[in-house]
Amino acid sequence: MTTVLLVDDEKLILRSLEKTLLRAGFDVITASDCKSGSEIFAQNSETVNIAVLDLNMPSFDGTPKTGAGLDLLADLKQQKSSLPVVILTAYDEVTKAKDAVSGGASAFFVKGREQGLVELIQKILNV
Amino acid sequence: MTNDIQRHATLLKASARAAKNITTILDPYELLQRTVDIICDEFGFYYAGVFFLDDAKQYAVLKAGRGEAGREMINAGHKLAVGGNSMIGASIANRQGRIALDVGAEAVFFENPHLPKTRSEMALPLIVGEDIIGAVTVQSTEEAAFHDEDIAALQTMADQLAIAIQNSNLHRQAERRSRLLKAANRVGKEVTSILDIEQLLSQTVNIICESYGLYYAGVFLLDSAGEYAVLRSGYGKAGKAMVADGHKLKVGTDSMIGACIAMNEARIALDVGEERVHFKNPHLPHTRSEMALPLVYGGRALGAVTIQSSEERAFSEDDITTLLTMAEHLAVAINNAHLVDELKEAHSEILRNKVFEALTTASTEAIHWIGNKTLPISLTIARLREEIAEGKVDLESLKEDLDMIAESAAQITQVKEQLIGAVREQRPRAVLFADVLQTAAHQRDFSADALKVKIDPAVAYVIADSTQLTRAVGNILQNAAEAGAKSVTVSVHPTEERGVLEIDIEDDGSGMDEDVMQKAWSPFFSTRGVEHHGLGLPAAMHVVSQAQGRIALVSEKGKGTTVAFFMPRGHANDEAIEAGSVKNILLIDDNDDWANLFAKSLKDTKVKLTQSTDLKKFADADLVLVDEHIASVSLTDVLSALSKAGLTSKTVILTAAINPERVTQFLRDGVKDVTVKPYSGSEISELLK
Repeated sequence: MTTVLLVDDEKLILRSLEKTLLRAGFDVITASDCKSGSEIFAQNSETVNIAVLDLNMPSFDGTPKTGAGLDLLADLKQQKSSLPVVILTAYDEVTKAKDAVSGGASAFFVKGREQGLVELIQKILNV
Repeated sequence: MTNDIQRHATLLKASARAAKNITTILDPYELLQRTVDIICDEFGFYYAGVFFLDDAKQYAVLKAGRGEAGREMINAGHKLAVGGNSMIGASIANRQGRIALDVGAEAVFFENPHLPKTRSEMALPLIVGEDIIGAVTVQSTEEAAFHDEDIAALQTMADQLAIAIQNSNLHRQAERRSRLLKAANRVGKEVTSILDIEQLLSQTVNIICESYGLYYAGVFLLDSAGEYAVLRSGYGKAGKAMVADGHKLKVGTDSMIGACIAMNEARIALDVGEERVHFKNPHLPHTRSEMALPLVYGGRALGAVTIQSSEERAFSEDDITTLLTMAEHLAVAINNAHLVDELKEAHSEILRNKVFEALTTASTEAIHWIGNKTLPISLTIARLREEIAEGKVDLESLKEDLDMIAESAAQITQVKEQLIGAVREQRPRAVLFADVLQTAAHQRDFSADALKVKIDPAVAYVIADSTQLTRAVGNILQNAAEAGAKSVTVSVHPTEERGVLEIDIEDDGSGMDEDVMQKAWSPFFSTRGVEHHGLGLPAAMHVVSQAQGRIALVSEKGKGTTVAFFMPRGHANDEAIEAGSVKNILLIDDNDDWANLFAKSLKDTKVKLTQSTDLKKFADADLVLVDEHIASVSLTDVLSALSKAGLTSKTVILTAAINPERVTQFLRDGVKDVTVKPYSGSEISELLK
């Protein structure tokens, strides 16, 4: 079974994405900010195959931060350098996409094409 | 012989009288004209005329002449060469009086067609000290009218005339000079503090022309390339027309202004003498003299001033000194105004950048927000469709999906409410602020214990729409609660500004740093995460602005935030209450500021008021008033108790902030009416009707 760590502070998006991924046959672990995302991953680093992180959400200190997802990306990569990570964002932003790639992200995904997200995860994981 | 003596004596007397009259005249034109008239009248001569030497001292030019003949000759520009064949020319050259007679051996042929009857002529030089300034001609129709000894008698008068002319010139010069100095001083005093360049220049040309009585003045400033002097302000209609035409002159030697700027020196041009300048500006047909003064600041040419007169020889070298000082003052003022303009330009650029930044922030936040709120809807619908198509609909999951769609939609609707709220029609009136605050706190579930209220009784009323103000105050209280405030202090006090009060809402929440504070006014900007639409503060600002107030924000990260509303101050209205047919009123409300105001208003009426929040037993009443926001009991309980007691149809619900949805709900429950709370005698009378 493939396990996805999904981190997003928008609870309705988190839940609907979770349901979409569950329906596609993935196991899903969720968190709503950087801190809990990092902690949950630490507890499940063996089982998590891929992480999907929102770009803008509460940072490690709990305050909302633009690009906080990139901080969590760095944190997760430090914990497990081989972990594939997809960064989610509400709008197309080339510079942020480049930052994500240089931080080791496998993909930068613009919200709104979720079915594509399922295919993207499958493609990254070769499942 | 006796006749001759008598004639000479008469001549002497007349000469003395004429001299006495002449010396009292100061106006130069009047002086000359009166002189020729006096000479003719006193002596009974046929004609008299006064000539002045021109600047080059080559010609004697006729300046005044008796009668029609004189006028015609002046208009014809009658002049005689110094030292030439004429009596006048010879008398000036020799500095001596002369006589010519149409008789005897040295008979002269008088041939001036204007003066056909002349038979004798006397010419007398006008001498002041060492200087010869012109000559006087005196003519008679009698042959041999003058004798040599008469010259001395008439020369005395001519000498007096010369002195009078000099006095008049000196007087005129002194007067001109004093006016000039006055104008220079006024420019120095009045314009140097003007920082608006257009106003500065137009004021300058007005002062120059009006104080100095000049025909025209204009200020030219160099263009950015330093190639042209562009007219920026000109006196009167001519000036306005030229400015509108974009009148400009090339820097260089082609024009007075161009040359004055190029050579950095004042210049004078006069329409007289051999080197006369042809003034050909069609807007200024009467210019006869012009002076151009350079405007220089810190060694840098800024432009030039032109000053023009309709008089010939209006300017002297001395004037340049006086006017240059004025030009220096003006240059300093222009430089200052330029600096202010540059500052203003820099400021508006910063403002443009800030506005752009704010709009970008607002639209970015709006896009993000709308995207995040609508996404769960489309996402869930897409998945449901697939589930339905595959026939795998799970009821529990479906219920959750519908809840998610409903919640997203509700959040979007809430934004619509905030946006619409600010554009709703306003009904400004004197509103009891304590009541608005209490309602706002109640609506937002803000704990009464956390709220400290300090309202100066002198400023208990504010002019606003109570519904809108409740929304604005509520937004601020909600922000405070969301910033983790443990206590909020609301204080109302007068300000130094007449008719304005200040409402401070101070919290001890998390506060904001400088960056967040600047973005705080942007719609959709929120630091509190996705549940918030970030419209609270912008909506409050809109409400306060619509009430002719203003709002300010002070915050410190980790310390808290203070929002200040500066609002128009209202006053209590103690108009007598007209109770109509109402005799017994039951008021269901806490003992708060509004209840006290209501009770006090009814004190002098025959209405019996019972106030209570006891729902077990109601006093008799023909009108039941219920405050929508009572702290001690819930409205649902109140309405159900009233229903049980059969009082619903006598019930009117009062609220500081009226809401159409709740109005509909209460009316459906069967209450008599729902209305905004009355805060004045006339509003209470209206309610009791």
